[in-house]
Amino acid sequence: MELLDAHLVPAVDGVAYGLLLFVVAAGLSLAFGTAGVLNLSHGMLYAIGAYTGTELSDGTWGGLALGLAAGTAAAALAGAGLSAATVPLARRGHLAQALLTFGTALVGGDLLIQFFGADELPVRVPGALDSSVHLLGHRYPAYRLCFIAMAVALAAFGTWVLTRTRVGAAVRASADDPQMLAATGHNPRAVHTGVLAAAGALAGAAGVLGAPIIGPGPGTSENVLMLSLVVVVLGGLRSLWATLAASVAVGEVQTLGVSVLPDLAPYLLFAAMAAVLVFRSRFTEPEAHEERGPSSDPVSRLRRLLAARWENRPRAAAPAPTAPARLGAWLHSAGWRQAVPLLVLLAVLFALPGVLDPYSISLAGSALALGLLAVSVTVLTGYAGLPTLGQTAPFAVGAYATANLADAGWTAGPVQIVLSALAAAVFSAVTGPAVIRARGTTVLMITLAVGELTSAVINQVKSVTGGADGLVGFPATRALWSGEGMTEERELYVYAAVVAVVAVALTLLVLRSPAGKLLTGTRGAEARMRASGHPVGRYLLVAHICAGALAGVGGSLMVTVQQYLSPADVGFEIAAFALLAVVIGGTTSVIGALLGAGLIVFTRDWVAGSWPGHGPLLLGALFIAAVYLLPRGLAGLRTAVGRPATAVSTGKAAP
Amino acid sequence: MTPTPNTAQPAPVLGLDRVTRRYGSLTAVDEVSLRLPAGARHAVIGPNGAGKTTLLNLVAGTDRPDHGTIALNGTDVTRASTAKRSRLGIARSFQQPSVIAELTVLDNIVLAGWVHHPKRRGAWRSRSRYRLHTESALHHLETVGLADLAHRPASTLSHGQRRMLDLAAALAGDPRLLLLDEPAAGLTDGDIGRLLAILGALPPSVAVVLVEHHVEVVAQVATSVTVLAAGRVLVTGPTGEALAHPEVRDAYRNPLQPLVTDSPDARG
Repeated sequence: MELLDAHLVPAVDGVAYGLLLFVVAAGLSLAFGTAGVLNLSHGMLYAIGAYTGTELSDGTWGGLALGLAAGTAAAALAGAGLSAATVPLARRGHLAQALLTFGTALVGGDLLIQFFGADELPVRVPGALDSSVHLLGHRYPAYRLCFIAMAVALAAFGTWVLTRTRVGAAVRASADDPQMLAATGHNPRAVHTGVLAAAGALAGAAGVLGAPIIGPGPGTSENVLMLSLVVVVLGGLRSLWATLAASVAVGEVQTLGVSVLPDLAPYLLFAAMAAVLVFRSRFTEPEAHEERGPSSDPVSRLRRLLAARWENRPRAAAPAPTAPARLGAWLHSAGWRQAVPLLVLLAVLFALPGVLDPYSISLAGSALALGLLAVSVTVLTGYAGLPTLGQTAPFAVGAYATANLADAGWTAGPVQIVLSALAAAVFSAVTGPAVIRARGTTVLMITLAVGELTSAVINQVKSVTGGADGLVGFPATRALWSGEGMTEERELYVYAAVVAVVAVALTLLVLRSPAGKLLTGTRGAEARMRASGHPVGRYLLVAHICAGALAGVGGSLMVTVQQYLSPADVGFEIAAFALLAVVIGGTTSVIGALLGAGLIVFTRDWVAGSWPGHGPLLLGALFIAAVYLLPRGLAGLRTAVGRPATAVSTGKAAP
Repeated sequence: MTPTPNTAQPAPVLGLDRVTRRYGSLTAVDEVSLRLPAGARHAVIGPNGAGKTTLLNLVAGTDRPDHGTIALNGTDVTRASTAKRSRLGIARSFQQPSVIAELTVLDNIVLAGWVHHPKRRGAWRSRSRYRLHTESALHHLETVGLADLAHRPASTLSHGQRRMLDLAAALAGDPRLLLLDEPAAGLTDGDIGRLLAILGALPPSVAVVLVEHHVEVVAQVATSVTVLAAGRVLVTGPTGEALAHPEVRDAYRNPLQPLVTDSPDARG
């Protein structure tokens, strides 16, 4: 009884917390389940509501009401804007949406900090609620009890709209069959906008009312997004009651769990999430329509026009097969065209130390490390068909392995690289079976959980990882067995470049070999591959292990180049950057992934150097621009310019 | 339940014993038993939703039965994976032709025959060994008439060509049991003629299970027929008898009799 008594307050807190998450997650679930938008800026919508509400609340009921109206309206408006922004992406799958919404979240987060400052704002609640009541012998904040009532009312209202009204019926119909909905005289576009506006309104209202529980601050968006993702995954998309149960469970873990099991609580959420995803495949997703019909947005029309112009330019007659012509034929062959960007990249890579200042050179070294991480994501996302947000986990294993090896006196570069790759490969072999069972968005969620679990371990096992402080002051790496430790930027960069070139060359060799075709086949027609006797699971596991080793090499390089290691270097943001670098690069292009990673580091650290504090804004703008201007990534540029014949032959097939 | 009693071969190529598959309250395949000898040409017909494709999936291994056993050449494969069954000699085509759009037509067939090729070791890393595979793949493409398109990406194929590619992929494993899921669906008359020629030219040892709606194709290819209705076997027997069954005639509402008598019965 005493035990129960001691935990009453956190338990009730957990209910309030859970109901808050329910309202937010219901919006996320609505947007994903019925509008098909995986909205990574959902946390930002909450933050908009929280900031607006906090700003307008002056401790009176009127202030709260005004804040609720304004915050809800602002977030709903943002949701509607998001709907307009995602319409051109309808045919491009979830990764393009992730790129857009993540970019939006970065831009929005930066703007919110501009308006409201970088500090957590103090939240004022109406005077009548700013007291505490007695609850079974404990004092308990009145606002939270009131919030529980308000959240229940909000949830009941939402459920009523969705299940008992014509509007709700249209929304549910749009989830099942948008074409049938259109045939019955509804405008699917209006429904899409309405759904995202409603999702925004839910997040905004939750933000205003929940500000005293999860207050507005710079970390709010990501925190809320993560927790509601967990809720949506645990609860599934089909049942509001399951979502409610999952929300309260998550809320209890975050409050009661922390007070009862402080050591285990950090793992509980994401372990539960991973377990649910792996063992229950009911997390069904609305598949994006994959047909590659001629899309109608202006940019792609322009691109097709340009491609047609290119094709219509006068051509020389076919030359006789003389020796120079044979050389010409080779120059026009596919092999050469694939080699050109590689050679250019190689030349640029080794010319950089001559033209850059030391700071930029060390940035370039970090970009190479992130580039290897991105290449490993390409192997999984583009070749094996496993879109991943969790490659920072083997990246972290490689990084901490190198830092610890250096600490123990193992400073020879090749030894560090090989052992880090091995450690990461072993790690990936352990996590692999959980990852390769799933496909599509479910893989994103499982790998996200793997990444977050790894982050939790890093924060807990302080003796190995230094916890939140990270590691610093370990001996510098020696390029080879003999010689001094490298401390000068140029040396470090050349070391990183050599390692990266070798690793990328090996990856390209494997991917261009028949082994790459096995992976392509697995991604393209898994059922056919199985029916032809291929052990598909084994291929995917091998790909996962190799990608893990590659990420481990990247982690090792990062530690060597920057000579310190903090948990933020291997956190969710880096995982997202690696995935987005791959999307910018063109998903199946190794070189594109490298360039994408380079572009991200260049934007975040180099461009932002002249406009301090606005790295996220610039990155967000980059992501948003990439989504619209590079529908097939950087690799698509080469296809459009370098191979006009194929580009147009497909264009002609679908006039 | 034995369509073609053949006591000389004790272990049939395919033996289904009271195979049942339920989805919730729906019994898609209900206590179906079947024995096919080597070289059988067997068709499974029935209305939509009768469980034909489910039955094929159970045999191919993409789905597992709730009860009953599936034996291949006398070996119980009820719990074996799809890939394992493929290596034991089961090949299939898909209702929606399954091709790897990013790869060339030739590569599609190389991958399909890969596991069954005598020189598969090392092919994943060595281009020269991979090239060995392309010869037999080209042969299979010639069989289905796609050899001219060997180096085109599979994404550029028409529906009929995709069907043929899917069929070639099934043949590439030199199967002992070939499962065909509506191979004639969506084909033109010319394509159907080619399909019939390909199936007619199969080695006599290959057993074929054909799920098909085109009664003409069934009548031409199959020597025995199982009619499924609501997951249960309505009738099993020689093609003529099965198609002449009153309930089958009701279901198809076609003047079947002339078709059956016109069909070549050389294999019967």
